[in-house]
Amino acid sequence: MWRPSNVDRPTGVFIGLIVISLTLITIDLRADGVGLGSTLRDGTQALFTPVQRAFSVAGRPIADFFEGVSDLFSLREENRRLRAEAADLEQQIQETESIRIRVRELEALLDIDPPEDLDTIAARVLAIGVSEFDHLRVIDKGRNDGVGLDMPVVDEGGLVGRVVAVTDTVARVMLITDPTLVVAVRVERTGETGVLRGRGSGPMSLEMFNTDTAVVRGDLLVTADGRFPAGIPVARVREAARSEVGFALRTTADPAAAVTRIDFVKVLVFTRDDAVVEGFEGGNRLPIPVPVDPAAPAEGETEEAPTTTTTTTTTIPGTTTLPGIEP
Amino acid sequence: MKIRHAVVMVIVVILAVALQTTLFIRLRPFDAAPALVLLVVVAYARYLLAEYALLIGFFAGLFQDLLAETPLGLWALVMTVVAFSVLRFRDRFEDDFGLIGPFVLVLTIGGLALFSVLGTIFGEKTLADVGILKKIALPAVYNVVIAPLILRIAPLTLGVTRSRDTAFTL
Repeated sequence: MWRPSNVDRPTGVFIGLIVISLTLITIDLRADGVGLGSTLRDGTQALFTPVQRAFSVAGRPIADFFEGVSDLFSLREENRRLRAEAADLEQQIQETESIRIRVRELEALLDIDPPEDLDTIAARVLAIGVSEFDHLRVIDKGRNDGVGLDMPVVDEGGLVGRVVAVTDTVARVMLITDPTLVVAVRVERTGETGVLRGRGSGPMSLEMFNTDTAVVRGDLLVTADGRFPAGIPVARVREAARSEVGFALRTTADPAAAVTRIDFVKVLVFTRDDAVVEGFEGGNRLPIPVPVDPAAPAEGETEEAPTTTTTTTTTIPGTTTLPGIEP
Repeated sequence: MKIRHAVVMVIVVILAVALQTTLFIRLRPFDAAPALVLLVVVAYARYLLAEYALLIGFFAGLFQDLLAETPLGLWALVMTVVAFSVLRFRDRFEDDFGLIGPFVLVLTIGGLALFSVLGTIFGEKTLADVGILKKIALPAVYNVVIAPLILRIAPLTLGVTRSRDTAFTL
């Protein structure tokens, strides 16, 4: 075999592997998230799931032990914080209840059918991404349990992320903190809209379209995006927005969900039709729109509607704005 | 490569990925975890023949790619570069941990930094992460902490001892 005289064999192998890697990257990027790469990923995840399940079960006591030891030092502070939070929440429940009654009265007055509650599928986090740069969680429920592509995932705080890949037994959830994920949001207090971008491990970036209405610290941001049911809490404004030269207000917000410490989540059985918001997210990440004719499903779509054998019915946490009702 | 080495490497890489993705869900001091697979590549590339060390790096990275949402081949490229770097310098450090410790630190930082840059080039916006320095530095520090264990396990599982004594010889 011909080889330049000054290139030793390992260097030749190294160059060959680099070329193969670059070729794979190019092919995968051109495939736009579908095709062979996607099939291989799903297959690998399916094969690796039993191993992850075994390690997850075996590793839980170890994690519990270390977590218990570290928690000893912060218990007193945590207790104080939880008491304050509980008092705060009790007050919020009372306020929410009165608002809920008012909403029902107004709905009756305006002859609006109350929105249906969403089915949810409870799931446990089985694994995390393979590196610190992966804002992913693998949950222990998959297609067999009714989980579908692009479904929103929440915890008791609010939106955690959305399903980006599903196998029969597990699903991969991309967290809202992923820098490639952008969510359209609405400030619950003012009704103004903007976009929220993930920035990895730090606070998320919020960009408001209207510079006239101030955004203050603690403002709750809820989903106003066709891909998610309206009104799911996403984040709370970290600092008041200041007007900048230009057309948008920029500030930061902390996720409402405990994104880095989630253990249990709920998948909302929410399937939108083809309300793809162009430009909000990389096109290669968007799912294939559901075809108009249900008898002719698109490639990669399951034919049957998700069955929810393990579902419960719930309202969206922490909000009085219900799905399908825009303010 | 001996069959035994190949089997050991497959098992070790699977174990490393399984531990990486399950044990560190909650066990994350300062919200970071070691880059275990990268450390395994560093540890085992010191003992394998050059071509096989490169292949181990490539396939370990490819396995990571298949479990991630990053473009297929990105981790494979990074791990191959890491394995090649180990090959180029492995005989300089021998088994003196005073030298290998900083070597592991530099390789981990270099590997993760390379991934960040390439990830951004290929549309992953990795460098847009506000905690990027922490995500590179802390896994590198953790890798140094657990390196003595992994570096000792590597020759035991392969059943080999280091026999090279010429720097830069592959």
